[in-house]
Amino acid sequence: MVYTRKSPALLVIGLILLAHGYMIAGGNLADVVAYLKISKGVVAEMTDLSYVFGAIAVVVGLWHWFGDHKEGGLDYYASTVAGGAFILFVAMIVKWYLSPWVAVLSRALGPVAGTPAKPSYLHDVLGLNYVVLGIVAGMITVNVFKIPDWAHNGVRLSRLGLKTGVILLGTLYSLGELAKLGQLSVVMIGIFVLGSAWLVLLIGERRKISNSMGGVLAAGVGVCGVSAAVAAAPVVKARSDEIAYTIGTILVFGVICMFIFPVVGHALGMSYVQFGAWAGTGILNSAQVAGAALAYQPTGDLETLKVGEIFNITRVLFLPIIVMWLAVWYVRRENEAGGAVDGAVDKVDTTRVIIEKFPVFVLGFILMFAIGSAGVFSKTMIGAFRDWLTWLFAFGLTGLGMQITIAAMRQAGGEPLVIGSIVGTLKAVLSLIVVLMFVHGTI
Amino acid sequence: MTDQKSQNIDLQTTANGFTYHRGSALSIFKSDRYEDVVALIIALIIAIGVLYYVK
Repeated sequence: MVYTRKSPALLVIGLILLAHGYMIAGGNLADVVAYLKISKGVVAEMTDLSYVFGAIAVVVGLWHWFGDHKEGGLDYYASTVAGGAFILFVAMIVKWYLSPWVAVLSRALGPVAGTPAKPSYLHDVLGLNYVVLGIVAGMITVNVFKIPDWAHNGVRLSRLGLKTGVILLGTLYSLGELAKLGQLSVVMIGIFVLGSAWLVLLIGERRKISNSMGGVLAAGVGVCGVSAAVAAAPVVKARSDEIAYTIGTILVFGVICMFIFPVVGHALGMSYVQFGAWAGTGILNSAQVAGAALAYQPTGDLETLKVGEIFNITRVLFLPIIVMWLAVWYVRRENEAGGAVDGAVDKVDTTRVIIEKFPVFVLGFILMFAIGSAGVFSKTMIGAFRDWLTWLFAFGLTGLGMQITIAAMRQAGGEPLVIGSIVGTLKAVLSLIVVLMFVHGTI
Repeated sequence: MTDQKSQNIDLQTTANGFTYHRGSALSIFKSDRYEDVVALIIALIIAIGVLYYVK
C-alpha cells in the first residue's frame, strides 16, 4: 500500500506559513498583534517557526504532490509529514491567535473572581488557554469535520510528540525536586494504582463480569488508561469487544476529568504542586494528565506539568507489576472456575513481562535528568527547553484531540462503564482529599 | 459526511476481523518500544541542538 497522497495540501500549508512569517516580519499584521497583546518574544517566535516549518512543508509538499511514490518504509514514514504539519498548523492558529483572542474577550467581560490586586477572568477560571483550546479544536476537527485522508497517517505522530516532551522534561528537575516528588509519588501512586485495580476486580467479581473484562478494565482504570488496557489485554485474554468497552469508559471519564480538574483546582485555590499531584493520580489516561496540568499552568516554570508527569511516570512504571499481577490473578480465577487456560500460574514469566512492558522512554527521561543535573545546561538553555516543551505538548495534545472520536466514546456502556465510573470517581475524590490534606509547599 | 467516515481515524481491526475504535494512543510505529526509542533519539537531537546553538 502507498501511504503518500498526491495532494497539494502540504504545499499549501507551507506557502501559508511562509506568507505568515513574511507578513509578521514585515509588520503587516501589527494591528492584529497589538489587539491580541502579543509580546515581542512571541512575535519573533511566530516569524521563526513560520519560516522554518513553512520551508520544510514546501519542500516535502512538492515531493508529495509531484514525486513518484512506491510502497515501502520511506513512503510510510514520509507520508506522516503532511499530518504532522496539519496538527502543527492547527496548534499554531490556536496558540498564536485563538487563545490570545479568547483572553482579550474574557478580560473585556471583567473579573469574575480573585481580588482587585490579583483579578481572575473567565478564561483563567475555565482554563481556556492554548492547551484546552487545542484539544477542543482537535476534537471539533475530527468529530464535526473530518481528518483529511492525506493527514491520516501523520495524526498518529502526536503520541511521539508527547513522549519526546516527557523525555525533555527531565532537563527541568533538580536532584532535590526529583527525590522529594519521587517519594511522594511512589506512596500515592502505589496506594491508588493498586487500590483502584483491586477495587475494579472486586466489584467486577460481585457484578459477575468475565475475568478477562475485569482484568483489562483494572489495568486501564488503575494504571495509565488506554495504553495499559491494550498492554494487559493479551495477558488476560481479553476479547476485542472487552477492550473496546474499556477504551470507551476510559475516554469518557478521561475527557470529562481533563476539563473539570482545572476548574475544580482553581475553585479550591490549589497550588501547582497540589494540582500536579492530583492530576497525576486521579486522571486515568496518561496524555490527559499532561493536558490538565498544562491547562492549569500553561506558561512560566511549568511546575504543575513537572509534578504531574513525575506521578504519571511513576504509575507507568507500575504497569509491569500490574500486568504480572493480572496474569497470575487471571490464571487462578480461571482455574478456580474450572476453565481451561493456556499455561499455569507458574508459567508466568515475570522477567519477560518486565522486559517487554518496561517503558523505555522513562530511561530517556532519567538520562536527560542526569545530563541536566550535571550542570551541562545553562539557564538560557533551560528556557529554550521550556519553549520546546510547550510546542511538543501543544502538538501532542492537539493531535490527541484529533483522535478522541464520539464513536470511540460511544463504545462505553454496560457494566464496564458502571464499574469504571464508580472506581474512577472514587479515585479522583479520594486522591483530592489526600492531596489537600498531606501535600503542601512548592518544589 | 457520515459519522463513521468522519471518525474512522482510530479504527483497529483484529486478526479475527473484529473492528473497534482505539480512541487514542495511536502510533505510526509497530510497537511502543520502537516509538520510545525514536522519541529518545529526537529528544537527544533537540538537546544537542540547544546545547550548541543556544548561548
